[in-house]
Amino acid sequence: MAARRRLSMTFWIFLAPVLIAFMMVIIIPFFIGVFYSFTDWNATARTGGALQFVGLKNFTDSFSDPAFIHASIMTVIYTVINVFVINVLAVALALVVTSSLRLRNLYRVGFFIPYLIGGLILGYLWQFIFNNAIPAVGGFLPGFGFLADPNNLVLSRVGSSIAALVIVGTWQYVGYIMMIYVAAIEAVPESLYEAARIDGASQWQGFRLIMVPMIAQAFTITMFLTLVNSFKQFDVNYALTAGGPATMFMDKSIFGTELLALNIYRTAFVSNNLAAGQARAVVFFVVLVIITVIQVRINKSKEIEL
Amino acid sequence: MKRYLTVAVLLLAAAVLFGAGQRESVQGITLVQNKPEIDAQLQNYGSLWTQNSGIPVTIKSVGGGSGADMGQQLRADFAAGEMPDIFVIAGIEDYKEWESIILDLSGESWNDVTSVAFTHDGRVYGFPVAIEGWGLAYNAKLLQQADIDPAALTSYGAYKAAFEKLNSMKTQLGIDSVVSMAASADMGWVTAHHNFNSLLSNGLPYGDLSVVNDLLAGRVNRQRLSEYADWVELLFRYADRTVLTTGNYDAQVGAFAAGRAVFLHQGNWVDPNMAEAKVTFDMGFAPHGSMHADTDGIFVAAPSFYVINKNSKNIEGAKRFLNDMVYTEAGHEFMVDKALMLPAFTNVDRMPTGQLSRSVQKWAANDKLYSWSQYYFTNEFRDQTLAPIYNQFAAGRINKARFIELMTVAFEGLK
Repeated sequence: MAARRRLSMTFWIFLAPVLIAFMMVIIIPFFIGVFYSFTDWNATARTGGALQFVGLKNFTDSFSDPAFIHASIMTVIYTVINVFVINVLAVALALVVTSSLRLRNLYRVGFFIPYLIGGLILGYLWQFIFNNAIPAVGGFLPGFGFLADPNNLVLSRVGSSIAALVIVGTWQYVGYIMMIYVAAIEAVPESLYEAARIDGASQWQGFRLIMVPMIAQAFTITMFLTLVNSFKQFDVNYALTAGGPATMFMDKSIFGTELLALNIYRTAFVSNNLAAGQARAVVFFVVLVIITVIQVRINKSKEIEL
Repeated sequence: MKRYLTVAVLLLAAAVLFGAGQRESVQGITLVQNKPEIDAQLQNYGSLWTQNSGIPVTIKSVGGGSGADMGQQLRADFAAGEMPDIFVIAGIEDYKEWESIILDLSGESWNDVTSVAFTHDGRVYGFPVAIEGWGLAYNAKLLQQADIDPAALTSYGAYKAAFEKLNSMKTQLGIDSVVSMAASADMGWVTAHHNFNSLLSNGLPYGDLSVVNDLLAGRVNRQRLSEYADWVELLFRYADRTVLTTGNYDAQVGAFAAGRAVFLHQGNWVDPNMAEAKVTFDMGFAPHGSMHADTDGIFVAAPSFYVINKNSKNIEGAKRFLNDMVYTEAGHEFMVDKALMLPAFTNVDRMPTGQLSRSVQKWAANDKLYSWSQYYFTNEFRDQTLAPIYNQFAAGRINKARFIELMTVAFEGLK
């Protein structure tokens, strides 16, 4: 009995550093954050700035702010497109690099490298491509003159700017997702394909009826990762478009490609309204949790075990 | 023997470490400033100063269009309990935000040699970093080729004629556009801060807040706003579309430095960029033409001030840092020759090397100045409300009438 207690003591002592760290940097700040979202906290030394409870005011204000509503809509659109494009491309690339193609390992590295570049740098890099390189190409390629027209700049319109965000987001992230698919594809036993071939299955049937169900576990992970990452998109958004160009929404001039994370950041630090930013972050968190729980459930139900 | 040796080595190591610890116990000071363009120069000056004073100084630079700006950095530092000893405020809005921790500097001797320190209720709180100014920077060589006298550019009419003439001579002058202007999402500070100030203070006596107070109360002078909208439209129409709608600071300043635009909508802080680009043409500032009447002056002020944190652990060190900048040769050398700033202190007799800084100095010497009043409006109002309106106008998504209407609605919302 005593020995057992000692064992469980040891267990908790060894676990303590991790638990304490987790409490200090995740759990406690999270609840403080939720607490602040119901106050008028602004984190400055402004006199007369004692903390006041304002109830749900930060939340109701957010839901009547055109910029926040627009950012939410844009984030959903961006996420849907981004999840779709990244996953389709990642599966395609994974099939390429697991085939018997020459130099396939080189391709693997090549596709993965953009993931190692920070989003801010990527944003500035691609800003240069969209603003300078593409018009320059249009300048000397016959038949592509329209690219050089300043009115056709990719980043000068809301729609094409969102497309640009998807392109850069995909370019950055597809290699990483591809790696997960590669691991899953390589884990599928060769004997299954062999058996199918003997039964007369085609390449396509082999892919759809064997590979896809067998890598369903990978889908759960990749869908989750791409969904969460697209939803949280900040750095590329900040560096590439900074929210521009502006557009009219609900009779107000607002930044058209400002996604939720950037909107929260600006509410907190540009408008100096930290409590409102915190409230938006709480909404953001709740929505993200609901969506991902649903996604994981759906994906899980499709997984099979051998 | 070996054991003794180990003990001896350990003792020695401990002594060295202890000694090192002792040395570091001089309380250092931290300075956070918002001019990344002079970061290297300030770092150099800081280490030089540390050699003389024995006080370690850490300098952090934030802002400049990329990354967090000054206010964001300070709020984050304050929330983390790591408020710097010296930081920068831009004016009354910032002062109000940090009022409770800003030290009264009325007793400092540098007050005798400056008239532009930041004061509030008769007390001095801010050390003027420099004086700065902007008008419309012009390329004298190109203007001369087009036979335009920059001294005559003092009203909307004069600018309109000049822009039209320059625009018709584009190929002859080898320019892409007449004016290098930026209005993209991250250049809101050019439109909604600097250009916006033309509406607030152009043509008014220095320090006159009548227009500011009217607008803050939601009262819009339609005549003044409409003349201002003409000016904004003129700048946008004769700007390069790529630079205007999607360009960043480098694109905007680069076009002027390369001689591909005759005018540049920036201030004398671009002098280091000009030096870097090895610009050879003469340049100077002309007034803004935001009114139909003549406005013969440019916008000059001390834009930012060093303030000392009341809760600093080394207030004396922080005071000394500021004082030494005014009263030592090294300080003068840093301000004028290294950082290419226009010092706000009369005891500094070095001449700035930058052409635009000299131009500001000339306008200041003739006392033809208009104030900076944009700081009376919150960052939120300028960056989140006004900047998108300018951006849409620049992109041609709204016309002038709609621009005036949206601006009016925005001001009426301030009540």
